[in-house]
Amino acid sequence: MEEMEEAQGGEEERSMSVKDLLKMSLSSLWRRKLRTILTVLGVVIGTASIVVMISLGLGLNKASMEQIEQYGGLTTITVYSNEGGYGYYGGGMAVSVDGSSDSESQEPVRIDDAAIEQFKHMEHVEVASPVLSTWVLLRQGVWENSASIRGMSREALEKMDLDIAEGSLPEEGGELQFFYGNTVITDFYNSKTGQNPFYENYDYENQDNYTLADVDLMNSPMFVIFDTDAYYNSQYGGTDENGAPIPAPKKYMVPACGLMAGKPTEWGENANSILCDVEALKAQLKKVFKGKAIPGQPTSKSGKPYKEIYYNQAYIRVDDMNYVTEVQDQIRALGFQAESNVEWMNQVQEQSRSIQMALGGIGAVSLFVAAIGIANTMMMSIYERTKEIGIMKVLGCDMRAIRNMFLAEAGFIGLIGGTVGLMLSYGISAIINFVTKATYASGISYIPVVLVLLAMIFAVFMGMLAGLFPALRAMRLSALAAIRNE
Amino acid sequence: MAQEREPVIQVKNLYKIYRVGHNKVRALNGVDLEIYRGEFCSIVGTSGSGKSTMLNMLAGLEKPTKGEVIISGEHLERMNENQLVKFRREHVGFIFQSFNLLGTMNAKENVALPLTFRGVPKKVRLDKADKMLDLVGLRRHKTHRPNEMSGGQQQRVGVARALVVDPEIIFADEPTGNLDSNTSAEVMELMKKIVREQNQTLVMVTHDNHLAGFADRIFHIIDGKIVKIEDNWKNREVAEG
Repeated sequence: MEEMEEAQGGEEERSMSVKDLLKMSLSSLWRRKLRTILTVLGVVIGTASIVVMISLGLGLNKASMEQIEQYGGLTTITVYSNEGGYGYYGGGMAVSVDGSSDSESQEPVRIDDAAIEQFKHMEHVEVASPVLSTWVLLRQGVWENSASIRGMSREALEKMDLDIAEGSLPEEGGELQFFYGNTVITDFYNSKTGQNPFYENYDYENQDNYTLADVDLMNSPMFVIFDTDAYYNSQYGGTDENGAPIPAPKKYMVPACGLMAGKPTEWGENANSILCDVEALKAQLKKVFKGKAIPGQPTSKSGKPYKEIYYNQAYIRVDDMNYVTEVQDQIRALGFQAESNVEWMNQVQEQSRSIQMALGGIGAVSLFVAAIGIANTMMMSIYERTKEIGIMKVLGCDMRAIRNMFLAEAGFIGLIGGTVGLMLSYGISAIINFVTKATYASGISYIPVVLVLLAMIFAVFMGMLAGLFPALRAMRLSALAAIRNE
Repeated sequence: MAQEREPVIQVKNLYKIYRVGHNKVRALNGVDLEIYRGEFCSIVGTSGSGKSTMLNMLAGLEKPTKGEVIISGEHLERMNENQLVKFRREHVGFIFQSFNLLGTMNAKENVALPLTFRGVPKKVRLDKADKMLDLVGLRRHKTHRPNEMSGGQQQRVGVARALVVDPEIIFADEPTGNLDSNTSAEVMELMKKIVREQNQTLVMVTHDNHLAGFADRIFHIIDGKIVKIEDNWKNREVAEG
């Protein structure tokens, strides 16, 4: 009853209700089913092609980002010492030398405990750890592995969130203990035949089918030769400067403290590292190379070793990837060389953006064709319904209501086409991912929720845009001419 | 009586000039008239006399070249198209020669259509349409589509649609032009009866002198000018008196 009074009381100001307007639009679409379906089909194909194309771009980007993640994430910075024209020692990774080209006359800047302290006190730095690495030879029975061991601070080891399968992280100080990465075992080879069972039998079709060396990292004793130069010299009959044969260096038994989780085929940060406590490693090296130069350590201009052991690198983790560049610049200002994945990532992202643009552009062409289809359908519809529009106008239908009715019709075509197009996109995406499963494990086509929403909005908006001109035309039809139209 | 003599339509010195090639055609050539509330008027003339132009002008479907059209105190010649649509929605009902029903809707929905444009809720407008169809005697054809009805039935739907919004003025353009003479007479009587009952003003355009005779007053129009006004009202009063 109230409703009725309201309807009558408010008659003067009230115009057509939105519900009635949408209902009329839908019913006129329903009336011309076949034509509606054909027009919608255009939008379906347009939406699907644009979404699938963009999903490919996004998938490629995601795959590269995951790769970056595997190579140490986006918040870590590796600091190298700056040997000022002499070149640097250790490491083995390529280093960008920007800012150090004029360092000929510069004193070398090396990483020592004071430098680590300095890094720790920088803003946004979460972890700063020395990294001391050295090449050693591991032996268990006939199995050998020439590997690099990496000493870091206990604090850093804890904060690296390593997945521990067995045992625990190395103790701080005290005796030297090894924490093995999950792929270390694949590097053992038979010292008699020189064959590596893992790589000899590598199955490219099925990575889960692998053969490993018969080595027990956790429970059987592991012998470690630190002075590898002397070892190889003694093996192959080398002599010292006096001509006397070099005796085989001493072997040390180093216990394992833990194993990292993961399959031997699973790549990840530190998967191939042998980690240990930096203080324990330092003590061990001092003990092994008593009175001799430790390999890899810098020497003074006269060739004498320094008393202190310098670190090869520093491992720094920043709390947020947005501050990486800032911290990196601060470290460079101190004279060190600093590297992070940010530059790499920027490059990758720029690349994938342009790929996305190109792919999206191809998709956009078909959506544009669909838009022309919508405009054409709406024009046809208006020609057919000229008289109907005229009657509605004479009976007092608001001009805006007429325009909105046609806009809604075009919008519905976009909405239905967009929805079906998205469903189709998911189907195509699943097929693409299935076909490329071998190369891209996590899928090359990736449709995030944002893309779904954007595609929906875009399809509706495009439909309405295509319908705008016809709708305005309908609105401006002369009522008189329209009702005379027989 | 005084109440009935209140003018609801006033036309002052109205001109409509069409340009056809290099010639000017004076469809209306200085028309003055007043129509009172509750009156049934007919405008009669031959084809091309300007009677349809007159009606379009009164309904705000065409703009006059010169002159004034004042309906319920509002100047139509000063309104833009939006205002004219609003004016029609609020004051005017239409009955057409070719019925102009929507073929996709049934009788009831057709009658309810003008109410839709006023934002009347569905239940209310269908109820009203229902009552209106009862009134015009289409009790059994409410859910029929226009193509399932005879011309006379269709025009009854047209009458119901014009009346459902309870307009002040109803314009009818040759309302029986497509009907045979018996049906024509029925529809004329129906319109007359309902208009009389609801005290509405009806303006009808026709070329048929006989049909025009149903009206209270008859304006004869020739070449865009009103040449004669017959007053049946007075005649009737005289006859009845």
